Amino acid sequence: MTSSRTVSRLSRILALIPYVLEKQSADLSDVLEKFGYSEDQLTRDLNTVFVCGLPGYGPGDLMEAYIDEDEVIIDAADYFTRAPRLTPTEALGLLAAGMTVIGMGEATPALESAVRKLTKAAIPEAETALSVDVLDETDSVGALRQAAADGRVVRIVYRSVGKEETTEREVEPWSVFATLGRWYVTGHCRLVDDERTFRVDRIKELEVTGEGFEVPSSLPEPGVGYAVSESDVTCEIRLDTRSRWVLEYYPVEILEDEGEHVTIRFAAPDAEVPARLLLRLGAGATLLSGDDVQERLRVLGNELLSMYG
Amino acid sequence: MQNVIERTLNLLIFLLESPIPVTADEVRNTVSGYADQSDEAFHRMFERDKDVLRRLGVPIELKALDAWEVDYGYIVDPAEYAVPDPGLTEEERVALSVAARMVRLGGSHVGLDALLKLGGMERSVGMEPIGADLGAEADVLGALFGAITERRAIEFKYRDNIRHLEPYGIAHRRGHWYLVGKGSSGERLYRVDRIEKLTVSEEAGTFRKPVGFDAKTIMDYQPWEAGGDPEVEATIRFDSEVAWWAARTLGLDEPAGELVATVPVANHDALVGWVLSFGSSAEVIEPDSLREEIRAKVSAALEAVT
Repeated sequence: MTSSRTVSRLSRILALIPYVLEKQSADLSDVLEKFGYSEDQLTRDLNTVFVCGLPGYGPGDLMEAYIDEDEVIIDAADYFTRAPRLTPTEALGLLAAGMTVIGMGEATPALESAVRKLTKAAIPEAETALSVDVLDETDSVGALRQAAADGRVVRIVYRSVGKEETTEREVEPWSVFATLGRWYVTGHCRLVDDERTFRVDRIKELEVTGEGFEVPSSLPEPGVGYAVSESDVTCEIRLDTRSRWVLEYYPVEILEDEGEHVTIRFAAPDAEVPARLLLRLGAGATLLSGDDVQERLRVLGNELLSMYG
Repeated sequence: MQNVIERTLNLLIFLLESPIPVTADEVRNTVSGYADQSDEAFHRMFERDKDVLRRLGVPIELKALDAWEVDYGYIVDPAEYAVPDPGLTEEERVALSVAARMVRLGGSHVGLDALLKLGGMERSVGMEPIGADLGAEADVLGALFGAITERRAIEFKYRDNIRHLEPYGIAHRRGHWYLVGKGSSGERLYRVDRIEKLTVSEEAGTFRKPVGFDAKTIMDYQPWEAGGDPEVEATIRFDSEVAWWAARTLGLDEPAGELVATVPVANHDALVGWVLSFGSSAEVIEPDSLREEIRAKVSAALEAVT
């Protein structure tokens, strides 16, 4: 019933009030930036604060809150001198973020001490209760990240996922990120003259060249999103509850979700990827359409059956 | 929504400022926004508003008003309400802000919500060319994390069985979150994304973690080592084309040609899935029981085509 928008709006208000109270008068632009507000949103929230307070709700009972020129003023809100404690999800989110970055080998001493302090203050048990690990690709990841930061072209020997071919490519790396348990690098691939995302663990050899490149001014948000390119093979698959994990580990389009069954559209550069996935899923999934995939599934399945016969 | 926000703020102020617990009736007659409602409508609103406050991290306590425990009232202890000050320096806050922007959990930057409560986000210099998404359902993880830190027992459905567990820790490894805890059959590991119908005990502090427990030790497992299946050793052959890559996953030296590796397996499904992800470039050589499982799985997949 309660929308999470209500919760996040209130959460921001309850964090804002103590911040402004402590500063006595807070700089407007500083508040907008620190709390991710637009000026309209801030004005609306301050107007809400302005009409709330102690029972009686007369002029002396309500909080004061307004923008005066370029200052934010809040007063008569002594009960809100501190923000509410972190929820377990928030504490986990911040700690995990810190630990992830440390695990990436990207930590500064400031981040390490921040995570230590946070652990101690917010949750005494957390030190041994939480552990975040981001694979061990630090050599290649570090080199790729550095190349992205410096704007250097890299030359890679790459084993494609699904196509089962090994190619040598020159790539202009834009960003390196970890998701779904793997490291990826996104950039402009000169071999296909287009944007591509590569799995770092499939990079057999990596060489950072001395050649520079122009980093595009606006980069896509890093992530492995569902994006079909024209040459992709697509198919429709129905998953039962045993196979729902596929939704989390592959970028797919959900066509219909009935709980017991969910129907997805799966796109890949080659029929090999969905065929192998279907084999893993066994009776937990049904291929609804996609002739190429069906043919590849049949051939590969029979090959395996004779191998294990 | 505007009404809900005003009413909830007023309710919170009332509960924080009241020196003694207040009954639902007192809330109804005193706090702005609850008047002129039917009994049923009031109770629905009150329950919803308390739920909103709890989701914000507000500790609402229900306390007896008299020694005979006839009447109960609600109160928020200001000391319990306030977020503890971790004493972060400016530099540390910048570092956390950068990290929170780089890492997503369940698709959103939940770390940033925490930072607001700790005094706001800090400007970061440009976009970092590196990032991570830790996947998973942030709500389930948050509930588990809360149960672990407050030492509350949990109950959940896992592969069609109901498990009761004293949760000790969670760990993220290779894209999955794992939970470790003690149940009737000793210390076990569970995949968080397979946990269903989680309930957390009302009682806190009901168990102790073993001395020296550390969630980092979960890191010593491969996915197919986490499970309740009878343990077997599997010998797998990888074609030379993919051998270097399999060796990396297994933490072995990269071979010149093909690779034959032996691994312990406690989750047959996970191993079968991993081997099949190589298509016909990898083969389980033994034991026969696993070969049979692969054959059954492949046959089932071939039959499942409409």
